Amino acid sequence: MDRKEFYKRLWVDESLAEVTGYNPYYLSVNSGLNERLLVNGCKMIDLASNNYLGLATDSRVKQAAIEAVQKYGVSLCGTPIATGYIDLFQRLEEELASFVGLERTVILPSCYQANNGLFSCLAGSEDLIVVDRLVHSSLIQGIKAAGCKIRPFLHNNLNHLEGILQRSSSYRQVFVVTESVFSTEGSVAPFKKIVELCEKYGAMPIIDDSHGIGVLGKSGRGILEEQKIEGYKGIYTASLGKALANSGGMISGEKRVIDYLKYYCSHLVYSTALSPAVLAGISAVLDIIRVEFTGIKHKLISYQRQIHKALIEGGFEVVAGEAPINSVQTASKEVTFSLGQRLYAKGILSTPFIEPSVPLNQGRVRLIAGAGLSPGTVDEAAGIIKRLGAS
Amino acid sequence: MNIEDRVINSVKGVLDKRPEVTLDSRLLEDLLVDSLDKLMILSAIEDEFGLEIEEEFADVHTVKDIVVKLKARGF
Repeated sequence: MDRKEFYKRLWVDESLAEVTGYNPYYLSVNSGLNERLLVNGCKMIDLASNNYLGLATDSRVKQAAIEAVQKYGVSLCGTPIATGYIDLFQRLEEELASFVGLERTVILPSCYQANNGLFSCLAGSEDLIVVDRLVHSSLIQGIKAAGCKIRPFLHNNLNHLEGILQRSSSYRQVFVVTESVFSTEGSVAPFKKIVELCEKYGAMPIIDDSHGIGVLGKSGRGILEEQKIEGYKGIYTASLGKALANSGGMISGEKRVIDYLKYYCSHLVYSTALSPAVLAGISAVLDIIRVEFTGIKHKLISYQRQIHKALIEGGFEVVAGEAPINSVQTASKEVTFSLGQRLYAKGILSTPFIEPSVPLNQGRVRLIAGAGLSPGTVDEAAGIIKRLGAS
Repeated sequence: MNIEDRVINSVKGVLDKRPEVTLDSRLLEDLLVDSLDKLMILSAIEDEFGLEIEEEFADVHTVKDIVVKLKARGF
């Protein structure tokens, strides 16, 4: 045994950043998500964050957070099962359940923890989890931790999924796991049809609606509203740190499932509860969505189309998606970083994805123009993108 | 259909947008197979041959390696 050898193993490969002269990770951000984001001292246009509705710096949301801090302080210094379950927490659980149209909700410190903790709590070695090939790492890691049989199905491919379900009757329970919006692609799952297949074969659907909540549906209530899925009997998870502009994660479903998770999901039971400021902030965002969603969504879609048009005119290969996301196909990780770097050099912050976040050689650069940006800023971004493609 | 063709077809069935699949194709280097792709391939093999695959297929490197493992199982 040699501790020097241990430290030698902890080596971060930075060669890609050296070759491309660009490291998009852990950038030093010196401002909030304002009209311009201050990154390493430079003003940048934010096409990187998941601030879809532009509410992260909304004055009403900030005020709600301030008032919560004044009433409760900054933390309850305990897990929800101990001192963290303040009235704000309980009310927000009810609000969120009602918002997505499900019976009960539990709130976790992040959706990563929700997705990580869910499967080992509900599934075991006698079960099968059938999962879309492109789901987020949090779901894959959570599924692997459950120790059950895993069968991935081709992305959004209902025939492949049904074939697997037909051959899987010997398991105690089959779970079908997918996401509403695949954030590196902008594609949306045919979830209504997946739910119908689950009904047919007695499987339990589980959907991660992190990029759908606050974005999809006539009033922003997410994938279930978008695809008119009534009486959903499966499990639902979502992030509270994207369109809902705060932090945390939620799991929703039938009372029996949520009550069970509240006592047996260790990611919840042993994690300090979300802070009062965040709980109040989420509640304020839900209030705004209820009243203003139509106008905000209109801006979001219009910006997405404008950036999409600029990318096409610039000669970029854009993934055909249905969500307010533009995803540029860049293939290799070198090309992916290089595009991210070129955008950065012209004042646009984007999100490059390389393996293992995407399959090998299927790099993407994602651009999200949130509704908080001004039309002038989006015009400027579109102009930069077009010129960059032409050069 | 012989065992080799059945394996190649099973691999092709779950790998979209990939180059041609042959017995000599290396899963990682030629077909860019990651851990989830590999799980899909092995699931397809399970369905095609009606068997349960455990750890013994963990070290397959090429398509031919899958054929060899299957033959060792009596196929």
